[in-house]
Amino acid sequence: MIRVESVTRRYGFLTAVDEVSFAVDQGEIVGFVGPNGAGKSTMLKMLSTFIHPTAGTISVDGLDVVEHPLAVRRRIGYLSGDTPLYQEMRVDKFLRFIARARGLKGDALQQGLARAVELCGIEDVLTQRVKECSTGFRQRIGLATAMVHDPPVLLLDEPTHGFDPLQVLAFRDTLRALSPDRAILFSTHIIGDVEAIADRVLIIHQGRLLGDGRVEQLAADADIPGAGLEAVFAHLVRTTTPAHV
Amino acid sequence: MSDAQRLSAAECLRGARIVFDRELESYFDSPIAYAYAAVFLVLSCTTFMNSFFLDGVVDMGPYFTALPFLLIPFVPAITMRAWAEEHAQHTFELLMTLPLHSLQVVLGKYLAALCFYAIVLAGSLPIVLMLLFLGDPDLGRICASYLGALLLGAFFLSFGLFASGLTRDQIVAFVLAALFGFFFVLSGHEKVVEVLDGLAPAYQPGTWLYETISVLPHYEAFGHGVIALADLLYFALMSGFFVSMNYLSLQRSKY
Repeated sequence: MIRVESVTRRYGFLTAVDEVSFAVDQGEIVGFVGPNGAGKSTMLKMLSTFIHPTAGTISVDGLDVVEHPLAVRRRIGYLSGDTPLYQEMRVDKFLRFIARARGLKGDALQQGLARAVELCGIEDVLTQRVKECSTGFRQRIGLATAMVHDPPVLLLDEPTHGFDPLQVLAFRDTLRALSPDRAILFSTHIIGDVEAIADRVLIIHQGRLLGDGRVEQLAADADIPGAGLEAVFAHLVRTTTPAHV
Repeated sequence: MSDAQRLSAAECLRGARIVFDRELESYFDSPIAYAYAAVFLVLSCTTFMNSFFLDGVVDMGPYFTALPFLLIPFVPAITMRAWAEEHAQHTFELLMTLPLHSLQVVLGKYLAALCFYAIVLAGSLPIVLMLLFLGDPDLGRICASYLGALLLGAFFLSFGLFASGLTRDQIVAFVLAALFGFFFVLSGHEKVVEVLDGLAPAYQPGTWLYETISVLPHYEAFGHGVIALADLLYFALMSGFFVSMNYLSLQRSKY
């Protein structure tokens, strides 16, 4: 579903993503892990068509993101790291706007809204303004906007940010329930989220992909067999970063 | 063939309508819009009533004469938040990753701002009723003047939105749009033309600006009851130019 081939993204002289290649297939949940500024969000922004790659190609469901941005956007549900919401709008009106913009109308619109509201558990805040909702609810509203059109590809940047532990568990269950029919790529700082739900891990640091595989496989490749993701992540990042005092 | 090339006019309007609905609602969701409308109406109507009582003529001319000068600060006040607010709320990324073409988003925002302006402008219609009650005003001239006022607003809004798209700061957007407004209005003012011509008599820059770029000669024709094709084209081309520039500035942000 997602194919990234030798993708580079530069901002002036800064290389945010450097020659990165990977793929995510239908039915896979892939966790994207890396320190702050590693290039995770930049990669997701390119996948979502918000920015273009400087070099390389990205395709979603066989469609090039630069050549067919609108067709790609119809196939993806994207939640960016800032949880973008119109603060003054009522939650139900905001979701209706997103659903209409995603091409839903009539019964499909009503069903899409009902499904997203139930999946994300936001029934209680539908008539409130977004700015009146708690951080956790705002994050769930953001997730609902990504899921309202039932997309085959989900791109989630820090999806559990602001969740309490129970909400994190509920979110993991939701993602697992959604995964058989779609490709899911999510970035996070929370190693526990990745270990709990991801089938595969991408480790990125300073714009370069350091690891792509299951945790056990990455641990074996790093000569620390049996180690957890945290140890593998720390090992890979430290061995590619100059030591600081 | 890319997505952009495949977008038909009907699809373009359908997407623009979705953005238009949200934008227009957002104007009325905010108390700022009501305060804006009230201040604009009070200022424009009191300016008119002052000359109405002094001159004692049943004519809306003074209202429309003052309008370009009032719009210099008031239109930037409408448009300054259009894009800057999207950046402040981080919704710019959301908007630009919805399956909507950038042109649909720009048109939706522009038409919503124009609709809001038209509603505020319609707040002056009681003046027409008052004039009809008191005497026999030239209705044809009043209608032409309203058309001119609408086109003038459409032009001001187009560069106001363009200015808002150039910066993430609302104040900078306001100042930029107000400077555009000053330039297009004052370049048509008799005294400014004289001063500019005096600076370089051989080139007559004031006259050149007045004849080619200034909005006032085109707007004032409507005030005389004349609807000329050249004036309609001026407003259509200038507004289209700035709307296109707004669209292009959005495209640039992808690189």
